[in-house]
Amino acid sequence: MAPTRHKIELTVNGERLQRHVEPRLLLSDFLRYELRLTGTHVGCAHGVCGACTVSINGSTARSCLTFAVQMDGAVIETVESLAPRGPLSALQQAFHEHHALQCGFCTPGFLMSARELLARDPDPSEESIRMALRGNLCRCTGYVNIVRAVRAAAAKLKGEGGTHGS
Amino acid sequence: MAADHSRNEGDMIGRALPRKEDDPLLRGLGSFIDDIQEPAGTLHAVFVMSTHAHARIVEIDVSEAIRLEGVVAIYTGKELAGRIKPITSDIVQPGYQPVKRQVLATDRVRFVGEAVAVVIAENRYLAEDAAELVRVDYEELLPLIDVDQAVQADAPKLHDETTGNVLFQASFRTPRFDEVFASADHVVRDSFQSHRLAVTAMEPRGCLAVYQRRNDNLTLWTSTQIPHIVRTAISNLLDWDETRLRVIAPDVGGAFGGKCSVYPEELLVSFLARELNAPVKWICDRREDLMTTTQGREYRFDVALAFRKDGTLLGALAKIDCNIGAYPSFPLGASVEAGGAAIYLPGTYRMPEYAYETRAITTTTCPSGVYRGVAAPVASLATETLMDRAARELGLDPAEIRRKNVLVASDLPYTNAVGARYLTGSFDTCLERALAAANYAEVRRKQSGDRLRDGKLHGIGIASVLEHTGQGTLRYRQRGIVYVPGFDGAQVKVEPNGRAIAWVSQCTQGQGHLTAFAQIVAQELGISIDEVTVIEGDTGFGPYGTGTFASRGAVIAGGATLRASTRVAEKIRRIAAHILKVNASDLKLSNGRVYASGETSMSIREVAAVAHSMDARALPDGESFGLEATDYYDPQVAPTSNAAHIAQVSIDPATGLVTIESYVVAHDCGRVINPLIVEGQIHGGIVQGLSSVLSEALRYDQNGQPITVSLMDYLLSTSVDCPDMTVLHEETWSPGTAGGFKGVGEGGVIGALPAIANAVADALVPFDAKINRLPLLPHVIVELMRSSSGLPGGHESTALGERNRLHDSVAVREEHAQSHECIS
Amino acid sequence: MKPSRFEYFSPATAAEAVEILANFEGTARLLAGGQSLVPILNFRVFAPAALIDLNRCRGLDEIRKDGTLLVLGAMVRQSAAETSETIRACCPLLTATAPFLGPNAVRNRGTVGGSLAHADRVAELPAVAVALGATMVAEGPKGRRDIAADDFFLGDLTNSLAVDEMLREVRFPVSSPVQRFAFVEATNRHHDLALVGVALKLTLRENRCEQAAIVVVGIGPKPTHLSASERSLVGNRLDADAVRNASALSIEGTEFESDPHTPASYRRHVLPALVERALLQAMSQGLSIQR
Repeated sequence: MAPTRHKIELTVNGERLQRHVEPRLLLSDFLRYELRLTGTHVGCAHGVCGACTVSINGSTARSCLTFAVQMDGAVIETVESLAPRGPLSALQQAFHEHHALQCGFCTPGFLMSARELLARDPDPSEESIRMALRGNLCRCTGYVNIVRAVRAAAAKLKGEGGTHGS
Repeated sequence: MAADHSRNEGDMIGRALPRKEDDPLLRGLGSFIDDIQEPAGTLHAVFVMSTHAHARIVEIDVSEAIRLEGVVAIYTGKELAGRIKPITSDIVQPGYQPVKRQVLATDRVRFVGEAVAVVIAENRYLAEDAAELVRVDYEELLPLIDVDQAVQADAPKLHDETTGNVLFQASFRTPRFDEVFASADHVVRDSFQSHRLAVTAMEPRGCLAVYQRRNDNLTLWTSTQIPHIVRTAISNLLDWDETRLRVIAPDVGGAFGGKCSVYPEELLVSFLARELNAPVKWICDRREDLMTTTQGREYRFDVALAFRKDGTLLGALAKIDCNIGAYPSFPLGASVEAGGAAIYLPGTYRMPEYAYETRAITTTTCPSGVYRGVAAPVASLATETLMDRAARELGLDPAEIRRKNVLVASDLPYTNAVGARYLTGSFDTCLERALAAANYAEVRRKQSGDRLRDGKLHGIGIASVLEHTGQGTLRYRQRGIVYVPGFDGAQVKVEPNGRAIAWVSQCTQGQGHLTAFAQIVAQELGISIDEVTVIEGDTGFGPYGTGTFASRGAVIAGGATLRASTRVAEKIRRIAAHILKVNASDLKLSNGRVYASGETSMSIREVAAVAHSMDARALPDGESFGLEATDYYDPQVAPTSNAAHIAQVSIDPATGLVTIESYVVAHDCGRVINPLIVEGQIHGGIVQGLSSVLSEALRYDQNGQPITVSLMDYLLSTSVDCPDMTVLHEETWSPGTAGGFKGVGEGGVIGALPAIANAVADALVPFDAKINRLPLLPHVIVELMRSSSGLPGGHESTALGERNRLHDSVAVREEHAQSHECIS
Repeated sequence: MKPSRFEYFSPATAAEAVEILANFEGTARLLAGGQSLVPILNFRVFAPAALIDLNRCRGLDEIRKDGTLLVLGAMVRQSAAETSETIRACCPLLTATAPFLGPNAVRNRGTVGGSLAHADRVAELPAVAVALGATMVAEGPKGRRDIAADDFFLGDLTNSLAVDEMLREVRFPVSSPVQRFAFVEATNRHHDLALVGVALKLTLRENRCEQAAIVVVGIGPKPTHLSASERSLVGNRLDADAVRNASALSIEGTEFESDPHTPASYRRHVLPALVERALLQAMSQGLSIQR
């Protein structure tokens, strides 16, 4: 007997859509398989590694701990929304310049978390950056260049007078 | 490290170029194994895993599971009997006993997590539902969870085809060892216990097999470091024509040795795709990853170092036991950790005498493989820790004892006691540079005997380490590892449009090959790096090779790319010389052109057109068409990289929590292709080392049940556990390898374990604490403090008691005075 | 690691939620922030027949001061504990504890009520609730009832709600200017899950301690008052001796549990220092209520 599907209407990366989903379908799987937005990665499926970080209604959340069925009326942003019109955002550019990614698997999650940090605190100290990113795990970079990249992005954005473009 | 954006002026090798790989990864357009668009009709595999560490399989009942909607098939070991050969890593070494591993357990399971059945269903959710309904009847057998249990005379034999549970043993003794050791002025010894680790790449494993019946072809995408070795293994073990197989490593989210084996899942998924005539996919989830991906570093090393009383190191004695789990990994086998430990122990020192016994022992735990650095981090930990202890006992500073013994230029080339040859290195230079950068002398001068400052214990630790990199065919033959070829290849081709493509037989999991090797091609051909594309990881293109592990990327794949590019450049010169009517040796390639003296030049694009007979001008007589070369590279020498690491730590005396305050490393990996990438490897390696020193440990209970099966229990360092780092570069070009490159991927880990352990030991000098086990969790630190000679016996002390005993100090009085003021 | 099947309900009111809960007779679970529950489901440790999503229930995320009480609806997000001015002003211990609750993504979704109801043995909020003498308000088919925090936590992952009850809101006494607070913990890594956590509330009168609540989590299955330490402070000046005394007494009659990763001896070792640190931290706060 097939499970009941629930209708959800939501906005993902600016696009309004409607789907019918089984209750247990995780948001991470919905984004990745149903919408083919594979930038959000699944590293643990139990809310520790942060690779699945997206933004739900303006705040970061672990998509592996959320069910798609809960997202009726929600506004979701994923890593694919950071550079919608071609040029990389200041944050992405800083990651590039500072070699803040190696295998790239954890990177989307870090970008989403760092973006939220800079929106809340445009001039974060190194300690604040590390605190804000402690929910994202990386095994390649040792975090050194990630922290440097976020500082550089903050400096650049401050110089430009705001966080638009992050 | 500032990024260097210059595209084509001057030398590309050595440039800190941001990577070509980055753009899609930053946009979320990476193509990791689970991102690949599944062909229509893809089925999903889930494994039914053993719930016992050691048991006989009595019966498997799939009747309820198979009836579940959406389930297509279920296979057990019995159904597959004879259809897939067992994986056997028969290493050719005296003292080695090969064992077979069935892809699905047939009569016996030997670790919790071993697959006993595979369920194939329409999606992963349904497959997991069905797997839960498979009923397995076990008859429990005695688990053997550590080496001591496994070597008992009455221990059950884990594998029918062996004698006992020691799968490999070797021993060695230099001729004068006994006499030198017996007459040494001073010997320090200890037994070091390192905890089993999970490799924990951020992306777990996975594979997708697509079968095409028309040509009986199979393509397997797999998150691997060794695509060719996987392909050959599938061919051999499934008895399939290798020319009909293609293995592709997609974007791989980190590997670190955990994806450096041929796994049963890869064989099964390939088999099932053909059997069911449907694409079959399997993605390892994190729980499975922590239970089935090869683990590493569960060792006990009994080590003694002998000295003259002036601190001269005379020799080392080591007894090494490695718990390699239920099955050896393939292709590296059971001896890779045990053998490697023995080779690494002498370290960066002049040490004439050495004796060791080493064993690899099978137990009912997850199979062990290779994890970044393999045994070197722990071997270095043993040596470096004992160096520090000897220093203290002999009244020397740890820097002094190293200065006394470290290899210097006049020692090189140096052949160590076990025959490992170091042609070049900067062991002493790196040591001095690191000491200077860390202000070591000043730190020591200001350091108090009680190590206290601002209410915390502070320490500084040194590690002088080396790394054997770029091992080629000779080393693998010597080690009897016959299923690792040891060479790699590059096919460099200039297309009619003058742009270059390089198919390289390795693959990348974040090490930046697509940039570093493009830098090599761009420099040799004199074209812009934007006009070079490097493709790796696809066995359908380009030459056969070994894969990326053991710090072999730059040396061997870089070397092959360089040599192939050089030959293409020579051909460009020959063709241009013919057309410009000058000597080929007078021609220079740069800026996309071939220059003779004066104004005479032609573009490389024109040369390519001539080479493809798309130009009015003809090739010289005897010159072949096309503009490409394939090179297989096998260095005759495995170059040695070296580094000196200096860590400073502070310890909260009340809680035992360790903070890394600063970290300096001076390293030498020969000629650097891209400093950004090299530094990234060092940072990452150091933090993996840090994490394993401070918090990572896989645990099994006494029944062999793994109890760390989530990232809430298996503790990885986060951004708040790690410091910023200073990396200093030395470049001693390797004389014996193409390009002068040496490897660097593992050095960070190898140095981090000893540097941090020594820093902790230094901070705990007031407690005379002996660091000999990992990880150094807070409760371990506290135990070290409590069990020291300084404490009153017979009463369980508390952190408060500790602190009070430690310092009737101004800090506490001040705090109390302040608070008193506050309230009145 | 995909969860088992379940039915899903997203009621608009707490009353509806309770009705559905009752209908499932113990086989359904309430879904709040999901940060604790969903990992358990993904591991298939537990397979409820239904999830009742509280995220759309009206009125469950209110923060209001009601006389001498700060009332938090069960669905108030943990992040609000850090950012809400009302919470900061009324209940500074909640605000001080917020950074310990986890990284941003966890606190953005995780709820105060969810964490309390989950009753994890090392969760910080249960210690805070007990230290502050909070009142949990349960809602069931028969209506509402108050449960004192001291009576709410029964053991690891076990609370005293009936099978057909939900936690509707939590009432914290509004703090006064003569109170001091602190939260400290010992962890395996920096800013990690707690091994041992101590929540502290002191009430002062004329330079003496009038009342003390020192509540520890992580040493046993539920939050525990360190009664001997508390008693030692009452009626006395808060000076170095009082601190030392209270810290030393924290292990008197206290039972410590081991787990496969950390021995009981460590918990016993570290508790007095945590109590000392909490006291010193609380005492260093000024006379006006600080953040």
